[in-house]
Amino acid sequence: MLGEFEYLLLTGAVRLGDDAYGAAIRQEIEDATRRRCSIGALYTTLDRLEAKGLVKTWMGDPTPQRGGRPKRMVRVTAEGIRAARDFYDAMMRASRGVSWAVKRSGVRP
Amino acid sequence: MTRICWRLVDIVSRVLEPGERVVVRGDFAESRETGAQALCDVLGLVGRRQAALWRDWRPWLILGGLVVPLGLLLSLLSSRVVGQNSIYFWMYFNNWDRALFDYRAFWITLAETIALVFPEILALNCLSWTIGFVLGGQSRRSIPVHGVLFCLVLLFGEFVAVPRYMQLQLLSVQDTLGQAPGRPLHDNRAVTFYGLMFPLLVQMILVVLPSFWGMYKGLGGATHSLLLRTILWAPALATMAVLAAMQGVGWAALATHNRALLLRSWQTPPLLFAVAGPVVYVATARWQRWRMSSPHNRQPCS
Repeated sequence: MLGEFEYLLLTGAVRLGDDAYGAAIRQEIEDATRRRCSIGALYTTLDRLEAKGLVKTWMGDPTPQRGGRPKRMVRVTAEGIRAARDFYDAMMRASRGVSWAVKRSGVRP
Repeated sequence: MTRICWRLVDIVSRVLEPGERVVVRGDFAESRETGAQALCDVLGLVGRRQAALWRDWRPWLILGGLVVPLGLLLSLLSSRVVGQNSIYFWMYFNNWDRALFDYRAFWITLAETIALVFPEILALNCLSWTIGFVLGGQSRRSIPVHGVLFCLVLLFGEFVAVPRYMQLQLLSVQDTLGQAPGRPLHDNRAVTFYGLMFPLLVQMILVVLPSFWGMYKGLGGATHSLLLRTILWAPALATMAVLAAMQGVGWAALATHNRALLLRSWQTPPLLFAVAGPVVYVATARWQRWRMSSPHNRQPCS
């Protein structure tokens, strides 16, 4: 099963779609968690996900905004989407009936 | 402060793979991070990358097979150079007198001392470069950690391993020769400077600096053609083989109480072998530069 950070990264990449690359995914994760995301955690996790076949990465074109340096583009594979869905389902099942999940959804079991 | 941080980011990020380096620098430019934040980030990434490398068996093999034995060997050689030559340094620096210049005998003795000391210094310097070249060529991405560990091994060798090794060797030598070959090295260290600072200075100037320079050159070796790499590595490997053989001969002589062989194995490694690595490297680099600058290789400007 995926780790928490791996799930966050996959979610960010899927949300960004064709614009998914290192710095943008990092921003997505920071917005979602409201915590700082280190570049080290991002790129080592990205490598791990790529080794598992859950994402594909390649070098994008250089942009002036980045001082003429390329981006590391990311695309989530079908296997990555399946893994993220499994993780989400597992979290939903695990959270069923617990106080914080009840308060948020407003539904009592 | 910010400029210093960015300069450090530049230096530290050189450890990363070229592709990753440009991506990370691009991310910093885009997210407009401060120098301090970027430095923390790049240090974190380098730390994680190094930690990941050490999960493999190869860095451990290089550590056990090259860094530790070669570091200890260089400590031993630099200790020998210090032990054999500190008396000359003491003689000239601690007993300095301008009136000595007037004596012809002084100049003759000085020339003789230089002729005696200089080849050993040159041999140690060149050996350190060659060992650094071998380490740099083999370690590649794990070189930051291997470089730091190499320095620690040198320090450990200088102050812990070599004095103990010398004591052990002296006992064996006494068995072999029936007498001690001279006073042990640490007995000469009455003066703090010559006991502590001088060995460190010798190690820093004759071992650490050239070996780091060699590591730097060794790292760039992977980009050369196979022929060039063979030319560069042949003398380095020959030097390593000579060093290993000399150490092997020394231990075999002690084990078999072979007096003649023991006396021969004490000599410093032949200068010819010691200088072969750097000389071949310099010659190859010059030849390459000459080839690149020759008119045939220049791209026509259109």
